[in-house]
Amino acid sequence: MIKFWLKRANEGILTQNPEFDQTLEEIKKELQGHIKRKFAGSLAIRMVDSGSCNGCEAECNALSNPYYDLERLGIYFVASPRHADIMLLSGLVTFNMTPHIKDAYEQMPHPKWVITLGDCPVMESVFDKTFAIKAPAKDHLPIAYHIQGCPPSPEDIIRGLLGFLKL
Amino acid sequence: MRIIARYVKDLRSHFELLTIYDREVIKEKLSKDNPMIQTLTKSHPSCIWFERKIRDDFGIKVSDSFDNRRLIHQERFPKNIHPMRKDFAQKEMDFSDYIPYKYEAIQGDSVFEVAVGPIHAGIIEPGHFHFSQAGENMLHQEVRHFYKYRAIEKMLEGKSLFEVHPIISRISANESIAYQLALRDIILEASEMTLPDSLKIEHAILLELERIIHHLTDLGFIPNDAGFASALAFCSKLSEESRRVMQTLTQHRFGFDSIGFETLTLDHGYLQDFIAKLQKEITFFEDWIMDIPSLWDRFDGTGILSKEKALKYDCVGVVARASGIAMDRRDTPFYQKYGFKISTQQSGDVAARFKVRLNEVKGSLALIDNLLKAYQPKGMVCKEVLNDGEYFAFVESSLGELFMSIEIKENQIERFFVRDPSFINWQALHLMMPGNIIADFPLINKSCDLSYAGNDL
Repeated sequence: MIKFWLKRANEGILTQNPEFDQTLEEIKKELQGHIKRKFAGSLAIRMVDSGSCNGCEAECNALSNPYYDLERLGIYFVASPRHADIMLLSGLVTFNMTPHIKDAYEQMPHPKWVITLGDCPVMESVFDKTFAIKAPAKDHLPIAYHIQGCPPSPEDIIRGLLGFLKL
Repeated sequence: MRIIARYVKDLRSHFELLTIYDREVIKEKLSKDNPMIQTLTKSHPSCIWFERKIRDDFGIKVSDSFDNRRLIHQERFPKNIHPMRKDFAQKEMDFSDYIPYKYEAIQGDSVFEVAVGPIHAGIIEPGHFHFSQAGENMLHQEVRHFYKYRAIEKMLEGKSLFEVHPIISRISANESIAYQLALRDIILEASEMTLPDSLKIEHAILLELERIIHHLTDLGFIPNDAGFASALAFCSKLSEESRRVMQTLTQHRFGFDSIGFETLTLDHGYLQDFIAKLQKEITFFEDWIMDIPSLWDRFDGTGILSKEKALKYDCVGVVARASGIAMDRRDTPFYQKYGFKISTQQSGDVAARFKVRLNEVKGSLALIDNLLKAYQPKGMVCKEVLNDGEYFAFVESSLGELFMSIEIKENQIERFFVRDPSFINWQALHLMMPGNIIADFPLINKSCDLSYAGNDL
C-alpha cells in the first residue's frame, strides 16, 4: 500500500497531465458554464443501450476515466431513468428492446430530453434494416439532439453534450 | 468431447443439422416435413440455447427437451415466424400480443424472486437476470438474453464476403479484431491463399492489443464492483492509453475495419515504448493490488465454477482457464515460437479469473514485444474469386474461443453462423451463484465479463 501512496505523491494528479488536450479543456470549461446556468450545476444522464455493438457503452465508460473525468463538470450517469434529465440512447432499437426503451422514457420526470448516441439509432450505421430492427429512434421517441460517430469518441460525446446545451 | 456449436442450414429441399465438436463435425439431414431433432442436452447442457435458437429460427422441434420456451423470440414476437428459413423475407415486423415468459424460479416458504434488467443500473448492455433468493443468499439464477437481437445472421445472407467487413467489425466492439480475423481466415481458405508471416505478425499484434485493452478494463471494474474504486481509476487510465495506441495504429479506437491484406506499417519504436511503459505500470499494479487483504477477502472463494462443471458445460476462454482447463486457440506453433504460454488457475473463483486476466495482460505484452522483433511491414494482394464451400474459422478473442462458419455460394454468403465465446459461458454463469449473496452477483458477472452483443447477434 505504501508504494501506492509514494507513486501518487510523485506523480501528482493525472487530470493535470500536460498531454491533456488544450481544446478539450476549453470545451469542458464551456460545458461547465452551460450546466451551471441551465441545470443548476448537475446534469443527470441515463444511458440506455437499445442494441449496440457495445462500443458506445465502452466510450461512455471511458468518460469516467482520469483523462476525461466527466463528473467534475457536474455530469453524472445515473442508475435509474427516474433520476435522469437526459436519456442517452445508443443502438439499433431492436424489436426486443423497443418496449423497454419506451418504458424507461415514461419513467423519466419532466422536463426530459432524448439524445441519440452513435450512428445506429438514426439508422446511419453499416447495418442493414432487418425485421428485428426498429430504428430510427425518432419513430418511437422525441429526439432532441444527435451525437454522431461509430462509436463517437469520448471527445465527440463531450462536444455533443455541449452542442445540446447550446440549443 | 467438447461441443462447440450446433446449428441448422436451410438447403431449400431439406434442412441440415450441424453439430460441431472439437474433433469432429456431424451432419444430419432433416426433412422439411415436420422436422425434428434429438436433444443433446443430457450430455451437453449448454446445447439448450443452441436448440432453443434452432426452434425459434427454423421452427424445428426438439424431442426430449426439458425446456420448450422461446429463446430469441420474446414476449411480443409474433408466433410461428421462423426468420432463418430461406422463404422468410420480411423487412418489417409488427408487435404481436404479449405472451408471458415463464421464468425458472424456486418456490417455497419465504423464497422470493428478484428481477434485474433488461436495462441495468450502470452503463452496460441490456439483459435480464432472474434470481430466486433465500434472504441474501442466491438459490438460483436464470440468465435471459437476446434483447439485442439484430438478426445479423439473416442480414449477411446474400452479401459478398468483401462487403460484410464493416458489419462483422461491429458485431461486438470489444472483440472486433477477433471477428475480423475469423473473416480473414475464411477468405484466405476460400481463395486458397496463405498469409505471409509479416501480416500474420501484424494481425497477431493487434489481437493482443485488443486483449490488453479488454483485460485492463476488467482489471479495473472487478475491484470496483468490490468497492475498491482506485483500481478502476488506475486501470481505466491504462486502458484509455492503450485504446489511443489502437487509434494511432489503426485509425480507430476499437480497430474497426482495420484487418485487411494491406499492411498498416506499425511503428516499431512507438510500440516498444508503449510496451515498456505498460509493463512497468502492470508490475506496479500487481504489486499493489495483491497486497490488499480486504479485496482478496471478496475475491477468494466467490463465484466458484469447478473444473468438472466447466468441462460439463463446455466452457471456453478466461472462464475455462480460471477453472483449470488449459485451452486456448493461440496454443499453436506460431504463437509458441513467440513465447506464448497458456495461463491457468485452479480455484475457479473471481480471484482466479482476475489472476488469469492479469497474467494474460503480461503474457500479451511479452508476446507483442517478441512479435515486433520479427515484424516486417509487408502486405499481400488477395484474389477476389472465392471457391464455393463451407468454411470454419476459430480465433481466441479476449473472451475466449470464437467460432465462425460461412457457407459461400457463387461469391455470396449462403449461411453465416457465429458462436461467440459468451454464448457458451453465459449458460454456465448460473452455476457460480449458489452459496453466494446477491451483492456478489455484479462481481461474479464482471469477473466473467461476457459480451451481450456477440451473444445476441
